[in-house]
Amino acid sequence: MPLWFVRGLRRGVVTTRYPDRSEMSARDLPTPPAFRPGALTGEIADGLVAICPSRALTREGGTLIFDVGACTACGRCGEYAPGAVTASGEFELAAARRSGLVKRIGLGAEVTR
Amino acid sequence: MTAVRPHTSRRLPSVMAGAGRAGDPVAVTQLAETDLEAVTAELARHPGGRLADLFAADTDPVILRAVWALDLDQRYLIIETPVSGSRYPALSEIAPAAFAEECEIYEQFGIRPAGDKPLNRVATPPQADIELPRLGRAPAEPPADVHAPHVVGGHAFEFPFGPVRQVAVESLYYGLVTSGEELVDLYLFTWHKHRGVEWRAQGQTPQQALFHIERAEGLSAIGNGWAFAAAAEAALHIEPGAAAMSGRAAALELERLYNHAAAIAALCQACGLAVGRAAAEIALERFLRLNAVVFGHRYLFNVLAIGGIRTAPDLAALRAGLPAAYGELRRAADALLATNSFLDRLEATGIVTTEEAGRLGLVGLVARAAGVAADTRADHPSGPYSGLRPAVATQAAGDALARLRVMLAEAAESVRLLETLIGTGALGHGAGQPEESGTPRPGPAGRSGLGWAESPRGESLAWVQLDQSGRISRARLRPAAVRNWRGFDDACRSQNVFTDVPIIEASFWLTVAGTAR
Amino acid sequence: MSTTTAGGGPVTTEAEAAAAEQLRSAVARQFGRSLHIRTLDTGSCAACEQEIRMLAAPHYDLHRLGLFFTPAPRHADLLLVTGPMLRAFAAAARKTYEAMPGPKLVVATGACALGGVYQPDAFSYGSADQVLPVDVWIPGCPPSPLALLHGLLVAVGRLADKVSGLSFVAGASS
Ligand code: SF4
Repeated sequence: MPLWFVRGLRRGVVTTRYPDRSEMSARDLPTPPAFRPGALTGEIADGLVAICPSRALTREGGTLIFDVGACTACGRCGEYAPGAVTASGEFELAAARRSGLVKRIGLGAEVTR
Repeated sequence: MTAVRPHTSRRLPSVMAGAGRAGDPVAVTQLAETDLEAVTAELARHPGGRLADLFAADTDPVILRAVWALDLDQRYLIIETPVSGSRYPALSEIAPAAFAEECEIYEQFGIRPAGDKPLNRVATPPQADIELPRLGRAPAEPPADVHAPHVVGGHAFEFPFGPVRQVAVESLYYGLVTSGEELVDLYLFTWHKHRGVEWRAQGQTPQQALFHIERAEGLSAIGNGWAFAAAAEAALHIEPGAAAMSGRAAALELERLYNHAAAIAALCQACGLAVGRAAAEIALERFLRLNAVVFGHRYLFNVLAIGGIRTAPDLAALRAGLPAAYGELRRAADALLATNSFLDRLEATGIVTTEEAGRLGLVGLVARAAGVAADTRADHPSGPYSGLRPAVATQAAGDALARLRVMLAEAAESVRLLETLIGTGALGHGAGQPEESGTPRPGPAGRSGLGWAESPRGESLAWVQLDQSGRISRARLRPAAVRNWRGFDDACRSQNVFTDVPIIEASFWLTVAGTAR
Repeated sequence: MSTTTAGGGPVTTEAEAAAAEQLRSAVARQFGRSLHIRTLDTGSCAACEQEIRMLAAPHYDLHRLGLFFTPAPRHADLLLVTGPMLRAFAAAARKTYEAMPGPKLVVATGACALGGVYQPDAFSYGSADQVLPVDVWIPGCPPSPLALLHGLLVAVGRLADKVSGLSFVAGASS
């Protein structure tokens, strides 16, 4: 198939160098949230728990528990509380322990209830 | 709204008299059980009429809803029929496309069509120890397990294939009946992927339910999600703004482009054309990355909202990235169309006739490649489509090659539509005020609406009914895959050899998730 | 390797983490630079499958890393599991796992397989580790091919688990 062969040469290399080099296209991927404890009140935390469609957020007293494994990076929490939630920018999320994906985030602002 | 195909002089079916106002895209009418057969026969004869869906709701009595698409009249007609007993007129005797839904309704609501035709298992697993929740009452007798309609004897033998199959394809269980080389019959089991998406939606707000609807069939997140959102919006009397609707259309065309590229890559893989597969995959990856920069997600999840869109497209990124991505697809396509060994494998493989496409109620590119010029973007235009006037690509041959040609023509048309949306400034700011909070909207109980969109696989339909508090009392999601798997068995039968099955599967480009939702 | 349970709780417990770590180094030794991957869909939406297919596409080309797909259970070293582990599918999932020779790795792939999206209910166990002994978890809905590459390399011990050390507190250095 000479046609394909010549085309193949002209295409050049598209293959990523990842993991040896960082990959630019990773910037455009959705990533799980990161939280600002200082802006997290109990009320906001409860709102986040209620709005997360994927069971990724729960609250235990003064702690917001974030399960990165259950998170779909849907962005709803960030829309709900833009002051308290931002994108983490992390895409290398594979864990060798399930518990390594469960994050405990202290509510830094005054706990209202 | 300019009609794309005006047929004002046509006579509407008699049942339409008094069903909604003229010009409404959806009409609803109530019909007694005793009139159902005669009206079904009239609608089945009506030019452009097809029974697009049939479903029930767990009310007392159970209400059966037949959704008729009157494609030449640019209307959907919903016929509501209360079923007092355990039987209703067998609609599949008149419109054979309804048979799979009759089976599903039997499993979920315990009512069956008149006659004693065995009703097949659809979503309930045969394992005795697994009892899944139903939408209504359990049937008196368990559904029949699918059996090959052909007698297995003589030279033919039957063997199961699946459910775990090749690498990175969905689980699917085939029953193959073969004479060794020739394929006599093929039947599918999909109950192992049924996730109860409609059951899950009950009690949720439309906004909450949208999360699972998008993930019912990930490769049609926009097609199915738009249909569902539109159904909820019709029930709530919300109208998204023009910019939001244009944003949806842009997402839908991007969904079509990446799906068609993926289907072409899969076709090459099925034919063992590694170099063609690589070329198509380069285009596919470009489209997925384009989705990510324009809408924030490679598969366009989280884009839609009830009442609008959550993510406004990045216009500059779309303008900049579209020509390069489409250029890759064009280059791959040009080379494929010059590779005779590839085209020979597709030609006369997996033929669907025009008659079959009509009888089985097939939709989308499978129907269009069999000469049926049905496309909801043209026949039931919503949002910007009435102005965009999409060209409907058709082919006559009905084989895998015809489906490839339709995909390529549709990809070109999607690019044209996107360029028009960019050029006219329709995608500007002001995506609309989506119903973001998910707070239910109280209103009259029983409010309902129908929604649709032309997904990459064809017409996706959804119907939503809300209770007084604004939560879902019944949601119906009918992705295109539900319809087109019916044509797959037929396409695989008789004239094809066994090794053609993967080619036919790739050319249909269906998902199991879409039918076993 | 622990036995599977029918939904009585996660199969991989904390106590087994050390054993899993040992297994990973054994795998790294045994498979060197060549590892064969099989996939298992337990109820996915088809998007995870599409991203897994992209690993073999020119942009990602997992073969350059010594990773290969195989449809044959007897040749597979690693099982990529997608979907929320539907109850109707659990028996087939166990059989698929048992058909693989040891040592073998199980990688739960995508939010559904990790316990998001679907609740444990009458339809689904709600996560892969309710039925199979999972060694590595890859989040994402769906995980991108880059995330999958990272996860596979973590599974074979060639990249470190990074996320366990992150706090997901904005502005924190770790
Ligand atoms: S991004 Fe979505 S899934 Fe993840 S924590 Fe926020 S709301 Fe939940």
